[in-house]
Parts: sequence; C-alpha cells; structure tokens
Amino acid sequence: MSYSTFNRKKFDSMKEPMFFGENVNVARYDQQKHPIFEKLIEKQLSFFWRPEEVDLSNDRKDFQKLEEHEKHIFLSNLKYQTLLDSVQGRSPNVALLPIVSLPELETWIETWSFSETIHSRSYTHIIRNIVNDPTLIFDDIVTNEEITKRADSVSKYYDNLIEMVNLYNTMGFGTFNIPGKGDIEITMPKLKKALYLTVASVNVLEAVRFYVSFACSFGFAERTLMEGNAKIIKLIARDEALHLTGTQHMMNLMASGKDDPEMAIIAEECKDDVRDIFIEAAEQEKEWATYLFKDGSMIGLNAQILGQYVEYITNVRMQAVGLDTYFETKHNPIPWINAWLVSDNVQVAPQEAEISSYLVGQTDNSLDDSDFDDFDL
Amino acid sequence: MTSTSKPESLEKKEQVHRVLIGKKQILVTEEEPLLVQLERAGIHVEYQCREGYCSSCSIKLLWGNVCYPFEPLAWVQSGYLLACCAIVKSDIEIAFFD
Ligand code: FES
Ligand SMILES: [Fe+2]
Ligand SMILES: [Fe+2]
Repeated sequence: MSYSTFNRKKFDSMKEPMFFGENVNVARYDQQKHPIFEKLIEKQLSFFWRPEEVDLSNDRKDFQKLEEHEKHIFLSNLKYQTLLDSVQGRSPNVALLPIVSLPELETWIETWSFSETIHSRSYTHIIRNIVNDPTLIFDDIVTNEEITKRADSVSKYYDNLIEMVNLYNTMGFGTFNIPGKGDIEITMPKLKKALYLTVASVNVLEAVRFYVSFACSFGFAERTLMEGNAKIIKLIARDEALHLTGTQHMMNLMASGKDDPEMAIIAEECKDDVRDIFIEAAEQEKEWATYLFKDGSMIGLNAQILGQYVEYITNVRMQAVGLDTYFETKHNPIPWINAWLVSDNVQVAPQEAEISSYLVGQTDNSLDDSDFDDFDL
Repeated sequence: MTSTSKPESLEKKEQVHRVLIGKKQILVTEEEPLLVQLERAGIHVEYQCREGYCSSCSIKLLWGNVCYPFEPLAWVQSGYLLACCAIVKSDIEIAFFD
C-alpha cells in the first residue's frame, strides 16, 4: 500500500472514509462527505493574523519589572507553549496526510497545521521582544527535564502512528522486526487504533494542555502585566478553539461509525485508553503547575488553583467526546478566563465581563415577570 | 389601544418561555440566544467564542426544544445545547455540568 501523491484510480471520494481509504487525488471542494471540515477551513482562513501586528514594547518593560519567580512562571509557560506548537506545526501533516482519504479533511489538516506555525512564529516574536538572547530560552526547551518530560507524552502517539504507517506503506500488512524495537505487527485494526489514540491525544494537547497554559498567560494580564502577550495568546486561543472542535468532530464521527463502521468498534475498545490519556495528561499538568509555582505564586494564581482548573477543563473535554467526567472539580475556579478567551470580534458588554468575574455561581431565583419589564415583550 | 395591536402583543407574549435550572426559573424570549439571557439573569455560563465553534457553552438540555438560526461548527452532543447560539423554542429544563 505505498502512498501516491496523485492516486490514478477513479473512485468516488464521497464514499471514502476519513482515513485509510484511497489516497486523495483531485483537491476538489465543490462537494464534501463531511462539510464540517470545509467550514472549519473557511473559518480558520477568516482568522488569519500575523504576530507582528501586536505591539510588545510595554511587555519588555513589564517583564523587566517582574520578580524572579514570576519570570520563571512566565518563561516556563512560554517554553511549554513553544514546545506544543512545535509539535502541532508539523505532526498533523506528517502523521495524518499519508493516510487521509477526503479532500476537505486533507486541506483542513494542512490549514490547521499552518495556523500552528503562526503560533510558533508568535513565540519567537514574544521572546525576541522580552529577552536579549532568545537562544537561551529555545535551548532550554530541549534540555530542561520538566519540559522534555512533556515532549515525550505529547509526541509518543504521533510517533507510533507515523512509524506504523511507514511500515504499512513500504511493507504492507504483517509482523516486522525493527532493530531496537522488536516485532511490530501491522494490521488494519492496529493502524486504526493507533490513529484513534493519536487523535485523542491531540485533542488532549489542544483542549486541555493549551488551556492550562492560557490560564497562566492571562493570569499576568489580569494584573495588567504582559498585555501584548495576552493579546497574542487570545488570537492563539481563538485558533485552538477551532482546532479542538476539529478533533472532537473526528473523534465523534469515528465513534459514531457513520464514517467507517470498523472505526466505531475500535473507538469503543479504546474507551479506557482514551480516558487514561485524559487522566494522565491532567496529572502531568498538575505536576507542571507545581513546577511553575515552585518558587512562589502570583496574585490570583497558584499551583492549587491551576490544578483545579486542570481538573475542571479535563472534565469538560472528556464529556465533549462522550466520556464520563473523572475529577471532583465541576466549577471553573478561574471564571475570569472567559473574558480573556473571548474573541475580539465579538462584543462583550462590560457588565457581562463583571458577571463572569464577580457573580460566580450566584443565581437569582427571585425573578418574575416584572423583572422583564425593561424588555419590549 | 387599537384593535390590531392586541393580537400582535399576544403573539409576542407567546414567544416567552420558561427555563428551569434546578429549582430556579427564568423567562426567556426567542429574540436572542439563551446565553445572553442567562447572563442577564445573573447566571454564570462558561463561554469562549460566543458564536458556536468552541463548545464551551455546552449545557445539558433535559427536555424541551431549541433551534439554531445557523448550524454551529462545534459538535452538539445529543442531549446538550450550545447556549451562545441556541434559540429557546418551548419551555425547557437545563442542567449545568455534573
Ligand atoms: S461560546 Fe463557543 S460554542 Fe458557545
Ligand atoms: Fe497552536
Ligand atoms: Fe492547535
């Protein structure tokens, strides 16, 4: 089953599964088996932005005034974000393009990955603006043990899928002995399992890990520090919301069996594995929070609060892909994050921002018709 | 009051629906999505995009009907609604995340 950049077979791409069907030939978008991916492409294109549009001159001054432990929090968080987007800027392409079978999904993967490279470029923009020697920061990403631990867990499912697909494309099905790794068995169900787990781990990366890092970035902005950085993170967060919706759609389409009946069986079999991926990532993120705040907290954010946010957001994301929630925390411990996450193109009235900041969990049960007199009913 | 204005106001009255949340109850219209009306009533709802593509505002719909003026990009789980873009079409009961 070797990969072809232009499949010469004539087939109906509307009948192909998302993955492991025919290699795509004609890039056509006039018809789609899953129109959602075409809509995601359109939306992502409409979001296009460039990091240099955001002025960071105040951030440099802010950064210099931060306490040492705050600099550690800010820079470690930025390094982690750089790692995650380094992975995301290439891996969807490398891992998924050789096995995708729908033109609209192929282009969504490329569009998605491209937007990640903008995120990576924005980290360079930020780092260049706040420190004199960016190399010190970038080098630490490959040597700092706390960061490399993260790198292993965010890349292992991708790497495993890529290795299996390479074998499949050169050798086909069978059991192959790979020096240093032993026997690797390549069957279609095994490939599909590797794919499903990869998509799940990407969903965790974008929908859980990234949001934890957003919380830190916005924690500074809540104190009116590093606001240029927060503006960039806000643009990144808008993209990530779209990306996580993309992986949620992939997972839910796979699990429904509507796209590929065999995939539904695999998704069912993988339920516990996926659950474990979420829980393991959440535990790692909590550990990471402890590392971030090891020398001191910031006003409004500490290891405990960030840990609760990890639990809360993990619950939300688990539920979105049809899993039972796992953690105790059912309320967002940092409701102020919503006002930062909301996209600039959407108007939020100031009082709504206040509601989210100060009226957490409060409800008014004394409402009756008279409360609606202000409205033209 | 003219005779023509009465049926009109009655018709608009019919567009007011009850939203039950636990033991609380609020009234909403079909003029705007549920999210803004919940916020105005002091009820905190999670959100990010406020236009249907992030699923942050997903809330359990226990019973009743909502509709979407445009199809949201986010996956809407069965038994859930997206508050930022859902228009309430009948009395409904909703529940937050458990
Ligand atoms: S706030 Fe994003 S889908 Fe409703
Ligand atoms: Fe990204
Ligand atoms: Fe992403």
